[in-house]
Amino acid sequence: MRAILSFASALFVTNLRATLALRGAFWFAAVMMLLNNLLYFSIWWIFFDRFDEIRGWRFGDMAALFGVVAAGFGCAVVFAGGVRDLGRYIIDGELDGFLTQPKPPLLHALGSQSRASGWGDIASGLFLIGISGVVRPASAPLVLVAVASSAAVFTATGVILHSSAFWLGRTDSLARQFWEFQIAFSSYPRVIFGGVLKVLLFTVIPAGFIGFLPAELLRDFTWLGLAAVLGGASAYVLLAFAVFGRGLRSYESGNRVGLRA
Amino acid sequence: MTTAVLHLGFRPAKYLAVARTALRQALAERAAIVGRMAFFFVILLIFSQLWYVVGEMGALGELGATEFLWYLALTEWVMLSLTPVHLDIEADVRSGEIAYRLSRPISYLGGRLAEAAGDCALRAVTLGIWGFAMAYLLAGSLPKDPSGLLLALPLGVLALGLGLLSMAAIGVTAFWLQDCSPVYLVWQKAAFILGGLMLPLEIYPDWLRQVADWTPFSAFMYGVGRMSFGFDPVLAGEVALRLVGWSLLTTLLLVWMYRRALRGLEVNGG
Repeated sequence: MRAILSFASALFVTNLRATLALRGAFWFAAVMMLLNNLLYFSIWWIFFDRFDEIRGWRFGDMAALFGVVAAGFGCAVVFAGGVRDLGRYIIDGELDGFLTQPKPPLLHALGSQSRASGWGDIASGLFLIGISGVVRPASAPLVLVAVASSAAVFTATGVILHSSAFWLGRTDSLARQFWEFQIAFSSYPRVIFGGVLKVLLFTVIPAGFIGFLPAELLRDFTWLGLAAVLGGASAYVLLAFAVFGRGLRSYESGNRVGLRA
Repeated sequence: MTTAVLHLGFRPAKYLAVARTALRQALAERAAIVGRMAFFFVILLIFSQLWYVVGEMGALGELGATEFLWYLALTEWVMLSLTPVHLDIEADVRSGEIAYRLSRPISYLGGRLAEAAGDCALRAVTLGIWGFAMAYLLAGSLPKDPSGLLLALPLGVLALGLGLLSMAAIGVTAFWLQDCSPVYLVWQKAAFILGGLMLPLEIYPDWLRQVADWTPFSAFMYGVGRMSFGFDPVLAGEVALRLVGWSLLTTLLLVWMYRRALRGLEVNGG
């Protein structure tokens, strides 16, 4: 386990150095994403200025929800940026380069890329959580738990969706589209969804574990809520490992000649 | 060379042929069409839930959740029908493909816009039919005065024209920036907020609505979506005039930017 953690941190440091090598591009991408998210969120400021609340959800709750989703997504693409290209790695035979090394191939593939714009997502997410007014100083460590769980579910569902390429062929654009649906569903208050849709949002499209539950944990901490957040995230991560492992058995090499340093 | 490549020297048949070819190509990309339709459905589904909850609280005033959902169907129809021509221009600039395209006996910019128009026509038709069906399904009925929807059609076409010209101008910034996506993101969010993509300008604070009215975005999104609230030919005429006016201004800006970009390209030996 220690070896895996040390490998993961080495991957992160290498990626961070690579993104920071183009310092201007790094700051430009991060700042633009920060502005993009804050501009987008201003729609909710307009909404709550007019309607005050939606079934008990107020501006602060919405800021916490949006903040958790943005920071969770940012962490996913900063620490596991390769997830967006996993389907392409599989279908183009690029997994070969990861399989030939004595390191966990999934971890290696996920950590092979880091997106500078993700830092803008993280910054805007933390800013929105900060202004939401739902986080007290004593509950600050919960922010870490909420954002980390959200990022874990984002990454896990990305792995599951892109692993479909093992059986179905080129599905990367469909997987990306589905991933974006998750962002869309996660960024709206759960009180507006009911019936079958609510069930779907805690299963097929795990928006509940990406946004609703972690944000509610910040608002009203309960041990049951914490268990649901951690349990949900762990279940999706385990499922992702299982699906990828299963898919790997049917993986056919791309017969690529190449070197990953 | 500059004169040769700049001639938007208008022979419509050439550009129509390019647009037709692009339309046929787009027709073959069925997965992309289905993906867009699915995304359109998801957005309508989420907002149908939101507006019905807000409607239950009696907070929508005279207009009902149905009208708000049809409003969103119209604005999203315009937004999702736009072909991302800026990405094509950016790719040409970054890959150097532009050097080959400039030597063709057709204006580069005109050709790219014709291709985008062909693709956009297919998107507008498929998403128009789909959006109408899904809005009807989710709202359960047409708006109180559905005749306004007829006015939304020609306004939507004018808005798409303005949108494509704006996106081409964003694409031309790639000559200087290489990556034009940050400029696009800012333009897109300005359209979301100042245009009222999701929320009609009626619910905005007065000062923000006044700011929005000074930009092209209010006619571009709200002008089309507003037609779901009722039949108002005078307002539709005003929106049409504003869309044409902003399109002319955007065309002038686009041609000016393109000329400057080509000058830079020649100086750099491209």
